[in-house]
Amino acid sequence: MNMLNVLLIESDPDNTLLENSLNGYGFKCLKTQYSPMFLALIKEITPDIIIFNLDTPSKKLLTDLQTIHQQSALPVLMFASDGNVDTINQAIKANVSAYIVDGLEHKRINSLINVAIARFKYQQSLNNALEEACAKLEDRKQIDRAKAILIKTQNFTEDEAYHTLRKLAMDRNITLGEMAKNVIAMSELFK
Amino acid sequence: MKTFIKVTEIWIPDKERTQLELGSGLYGGLQDFKAASEQQQFAYNEGLPGKAWAAGHPIVLTKFEHSYFKRTAAAKKAGLTCGIAIPVFSGDFLMAVVVFLCGDDDEHAGAIEVWCNNPVFASTLNVMDGYYGTRQHFEAISRQLNMPKGQGLAGLAWATGMPILIDDISKAATFIRASDAQQAGISMGIGIPVSDTLRQTYIMTFLSAKATPIAKRIQIWIPDPQGKQLICQQGYSKNSNDLAKIFETITVDKGVGAIGRVWLTGMPVISGNHDPSGYNPELDNLSSMLALPVIAKGRLKAIVSFLF
Repeated sequence: MNMLNVLLIESDPDNTLLENSLNGYGFKCLKTQYSPMFLALIKEITPDIIIFNLDTPSKKLLTDLQTIHQQSALPVLMFASDGNVDTINQAIKANVSAYIVDGLEHKRINSLINVAIARFKYQQSLNNALEEACAKLEDRKQIDRAKAILIKTQNFTEDEAYHTLRKLAMDRNITLGEMAKNVIAMSELFK
Repeated sequence: MKTFIKVTEIWIPDKERTQLELGSGLYGGLQDFKAASEQQQFAYNEGLPGKAWAAGHPIVLTKFEHSYFKRTAAAKKAGLTCGIAIPVFSGDFLMAVVVFLCGDDDEHAGAIEVWCNNPVFASTLNVMDGYYGTRQHFEAISRQLNMPKGQGLAGLAWATGMPILIDDISKAATFIRASDAQQAGISMGIGIPVSDTLRQTYIMTFLSAKATPIAKRIQIWIPDPQGKQLICQQGYSKNSNDLAKIFETITVDKGVGAIGRVWLTGMPVISGNHDPSGYNPELDNLSSMLALPVIAKGRLKAIVSFLF
């Protein structure tokens, strides 16, 4: 029994094919049409996955998806009839996990949802790793800058500057990167 | 670490020298008050900065409502209840007006005083203006005092013409009101000479408790014996700050850096991060600074820097 909360956005409210399939697989499904209240609805019901069934995603919808991704990322599965490469590229850029063209079949739905969730998780892990690497690189830059400040103002060697920075960080129980920011901020005061 | 001073502003004369406009300011998280201040200008004798300009000496305003204070509604919303304006002159020429604004909550223990010499007893100082918050007993004692030149915080600042910082003030032999200060929870004080003409002397004193220090750190910079560089004579903060101490070992050349610019121009300077996201009152990190010149007879005697 699937207990995932699915928000189903149907362009045709009379189309019950996808809704019935989802209910059949045991998903908890809420069906609605895309509206200006879309973002507020997501915030309120916090679904586990969003599934779209439409002809083509509008620019506004793609912008909303990017907003969702920045605020609280979710797996997004999109069934569409528009197979244009530009549209597909725009959907992928808007962080759609899986974009299926004319592929709505009852027997494939469960596996497509699993693919979308797996792709989303993998993408998230890549994003996290990228963010971590960027943060480390930024820390490295800040530490080098702080060391340069200490070398210039205190006539320290590079080793002395590093050890001073490390001791200051340890005394305050903060990371080297945070301490480097403090040193830079302090030097900015006297600039 | 919450500080006694919540807002610091520098108001400078406009090109026509008819109005004061906001030069720079430190507002912490009080962004609405900042927005209200940016819209404001003060004519001579108008509002707190304008009054200080006209009076030619520091002014303490302890109540904003029904007063000449122009930003009362915004100040009330921001929890600011008291203001101090210090005009900085070079001779008769106004360079700037520094304004400090403070809050008035239960945690606040401290006092800000303006002392001036008594025209009758020329060698004593009296409290001309003061803000004491809820420390009414301490206020009563202070207002009765005749402070001889060379004694107490204000008297020492007058005699030396230099800023005087006393840590652990309740135990300091030089502080006349030591036991009263202890009762009032006051632990630290700084006296700053702000104006010394032939007839009239004005000394500012800032007294504060450990829980709400005046600023996160205070430094006194003075010229070296050759008058070629500034050195940090004293640095004080509630908690020991090794990072600040490192930067207090540097020497400052005239015109170089924020402190050096104050020396060169005689103008107070605000430096550092004005971005509210970079300011956290609870942390010991120092991200902004007001540097205030102490000038006597056209010469820089010292620079007092308030770090936040």
